[in-house]
Amino acid sequence: MKPIKISMLSLFLVVGLVLHTVESLEAQLKISVIRYEIWVELDDQRKMLYGRENISWLNTTQDEVQDMWFHLFYNAFKNERSTLLQESREELLGALGIKIEDGEWGWIDVTSIKLADGRDLRPTAEFVTRDKPVHPDDQTVMCVEFPEPVKPGEEVHLLLEFKSKIPKGILRTGYYQDSYFIAQWFPKPGVYEEGKGWNCHEYHLNSEFYADFADFTVHITVPENFVVGASGKQVGELRDSDTNAVTYTFYQDNIHDFAWTADSDFIKVERDFIAEDEISRKEYEEAARKLQLPVENIKLKDMKMILLIEPEHRSQIERHFKALKMAVKYYGLWYGPYPYETITMVDPPFRTKSGGMEYPTFFTAGTAILRSKEVLSPEGVIIHEFGHGYWYGLCANNEFEEAWLDEGINSYSTGKVAGKAYGKGALPFTFRRMPLAWFLKLPKYYDDEFDRAVAIHVVELDPITTHSWKFYNRGSYALNVYMRASTCLHTLERLVGEDTMLRILRTFQMYFRYKHPRTEDFIQVVNEVSGQDLTWFFEELFFKTLNFDYGICSLTSSEKDKHVRGFFDINGEKEEFTQEKVEKIKAEEKKSGKREIYVTEVTVRRFGEAKLGGDVLMKLRVVFEDGSEEIVNWDGQKRWEKFTFKKPAKAKFAQIDPDKIWLIDSNLSNNSLKRKSSKGGIFRLTSGILFLIQNFLQCISSFS
Amino acid sequence: MSVFRLLIQGIKTTNSKGRIVLYLWITNFVFSLVIVAPFYFLLSKEFSRSLIGNKLGAGFDLLWLGDLFYKFNNIPPALIGWFLVPGILFLLLYMFLNGGIIGRIVAQRESVNFSNFFGDCGKYFLCFFRIFLISLIGYALVFGVIYRYISELFELWTDNASTEWPLIISSNIKFLILILLFSIIRMFFDYARVSVVVEDSRRAIRATILSLSFVGKRFFKAWFLYLLVGIISLIFFAVCLRISRILPSSGLLIIVVFLWHQIYILSRMWTKMLFFSSEYHFFYQEKISLY
Repeated sequence: MKPIKISMLSLFLVVGLVLHTVESLEAQLKISVIRYEIWVELDDQRKMLYGRENISWLNTTQDEVQDMWFHLFYNAFKNERSTLLQESREELLGALGIKIEDGEWGWIDVTSIKLADGRDLRPTAEFVTRDKPVHPDDQTVMCVEFPEPVKPGEEVHLLLEFKSKIPKGILRTGYYQDSYFIAQWFPKPGVYEEGKGWNCHEYHLNSEFYADFADFTVHITVPENFVVGASGKQVGELRDSDTNAVTYTFYQDNIHDFAWTADSDFIKVERDFIAEDEISRKEYEEAARKLQLPVENIKLKDMKMILLIEPEHRSQIERHFKALKMAVKYYGLWYGPYPYETITMVDPPFRTKSGGMEYPTFFTAGTAILRSKEVLSPEGVIIHEFGHGYWYGLCANNEFEEAWLDEGINSYSTGKVAGKAYGKGALPFTFRRMPLAWFLKLPKYYDDEFDRAVAIHVVELDPITTHSWKFYNRGSYALNVYMRASTCLHTLERLVGEDTMLRILRTFQMYFRYKHPRTEDFIQVVNEVSGQDLTWFFEELFFKTLNFDYGICSLTSSEKDKHVRGFFDINGEKEEFTQEKVEKIKAEEKKSGKREIYVTEVTVRRFGEAKLGGDVLMKLRVVFEDGSEEIVNWDGQKRWEKFTFKKPAKAKFAQIDPDKIWLIDSNLSNNSLKRKSSKGGIFRLTSGILFLIQNFLQCISSFS
Repeated sequence: MSVFRLLIQGIKTTNSKGRIVLYLWITNFVFSLVIVAPFYFLLSKEFSRSLIGNKLGAGFDLLWLGDLFYKFNNIPPALIGWFLVPGILFLLLYMFLNGGIIGRIVAQRESVNFSNFFGDCGKYFLCFFRIFLISLIGYALVFGVIYRYISELFELWTDNASTEWPLIISSNIKFLILILLFSIIRMFFDYARVSVVVEDSRRAIRATILSLSFVGKRFFKAWFLYLLVGIISLIFFAVCLRISRILPSSGLLIIVVFLWHQIYILSRMWTKMLFFSSEYHFFYQEKISLY
């Protein structure tokens, strides 16, 4: 377990974080530690990239920095000894998911690395493998030594040359035929952390992002028939008639990664997001009221939306833009305005395996030719990937070490935005690539319901805050980091209230924009904005593997034993009360209209290991047959507690957590207990299963 | 006689032997009840006293469904066995019942009663079992060899596809081919069974050869007739889906849903009989014309 302590200093820091000032802090906090200028040429025939890269790195720490570490992620696809492929092999999923055939490998060679004054650093270059377990032959992290340390406040300039073999579509990068999606492709320094050194992990199966904010100028040269899209804004286009090539120049400041795509088939469509047209005055006012901010502070800016879409998906252009507008609108209104001028949405080229991935100001969606309107795809993925721009993009967490800060928060916020914009979506089942929603009335659901249904299965496998490559397996990573974290955040929302949760996320977003927040930072924001110390919530649900399950284990209602049998001393005499006498007394009381009193006993239990903390209490509601109800609170610390009620009616049912705050509760069916059983629902479900079995048997009989 | 007239004759025969449909439905229902009973008791134990129990099956709610999966997530391996064993038993049972179905269809002028139906079942069971074993060779040939080669042919096309279209088209064509191949194999062995009963034979191999020869000579007419009945069953399926979409699933109306489901199962039994009766009329008519 990671200890979480809130220091007084940090508390003061957050106390000073009044929401009004948070909004105005944004401009001051923009600091790019790095400047890149990259020239890259695509060799379509050989599937190669040839690049030059100028890097200026500013030492913003108080350390004297002796070396520099780079990510060389294309080497993850170089051979079967890379960390990524070794991890993949250890996974059951590896055999199914990641397989590189002969001739499909990818790699990157840094052919030259020099300081601006010409001193060659190449001889000092070596590959580094520090993550445990060690994969000594991995070549995805390279380190070079400086001849003399870079002093605090000093800037170092490096000139690199590299060439890369593009892998055939794998893990969101690569080529298929003459379509390219190019991500994690250039030598990229890690993050220098004061007192700790370079944070520069290998390319792991579950994670790939952590870099400093930078200003990028990238010149991409491709054959002239290619349509290109990339992070940032296109600022130049130069045609070379001798080589039939075009060089596109893109620029963007304050981002920490750069990806691009090129495909001759892309249709490029541009639309403007005009905030005034998309958001009404009433919507601004409602959001401002919830956020407790002036309307002026939450106004969104206009921006350019670019879509690169494959021709066979042309009919879905409007679906793509509508979803993107919804995402820009609600993420902007709720969590803060989108700060960049452009967003480029890519319908990933066929078989480049690049769908559903986020990069700064640039993301891939993913659709199919045959789609039902009832299924929120591609809408869900568009909202999700755009949303990453907020959590991974702007509050740039260390994805290797705390992936939930992006994936978990973004799964939560995707569910909120998609639910608001579209309501429930149908299950995305297909048959022979045809949506079953065309033929069947498929069930519909909200994301949070789905997240909870799967999250409860992995609670005891790993803490949510586990390092990405240290999870039990890929399933545990995905379900914990996405779904369980999201479910915990939905629980938190129900605990603190929807408006407070909104303010928590906006504060976190605006305060940590262009920074690298940690889990502890998020907890501080939660505590400060909610006005409660909810550290225990995170300790129980994020840092441990404790199952949360409160329930009711017994409910009885019986007549109060006013009249009992046996000998009693009455006026100095022993008097015997027989069964007959007791019955007689009762009959007389009934005749005189005296109401029977019933004793109801409810035993509540904490079935799971996780328990409540702080001032939070578990509510118990008991409903009686005369329509009355009693509500009591339990601190939930002990394993069980018995509550007794004396009422003129028997209990009908008892219910723990009647407001359904604890979505993370792994067993909601034991949250209530009726005194008498009823079988209506069970008959309904069983008859449905019966029908399925009848059909199954008839199908089997076809072979007779 | 035209295929449509054969179909109408088949329908008339099927309707006149309605009691068989009832026997088949009872068999299916009782068998299914046995399989479903443990689920009922499990669900009762877990949900009958929970408020969530009231919602079970009333629409789709991931909260109770999530609980269901969570509680019973260790059951799936056992479920496979639980479905497989009754499935095999039901297959054997239907080999037994087929004798009764075809026997009573062939006995055109006789009414159906318990004893003559089950008498025919017993009479042809062993022969039908042998035909089933022979049919396995046919299915293995179709699914294991022919379909595999067809799939590989399609892969040559889809491996280098530039868009998703070839995958959609090939996937659906492959499925259609699979269905058609399955229908041909099934049709062949249906005629083998019909010929066994018509000729009151017990010789499975001879019946199979006879069926191959008979169907081989009249393949398209026989197949067309078979596919027509297949289309009728597809129509029933589509109607069932359509009506199920609009039926409510709450309150007492669940009884209506239950009854509707059983009507659909009855329609499946009826169609099963129609396959045999139309095949019988075709077989009989062609035999007569030979003499």
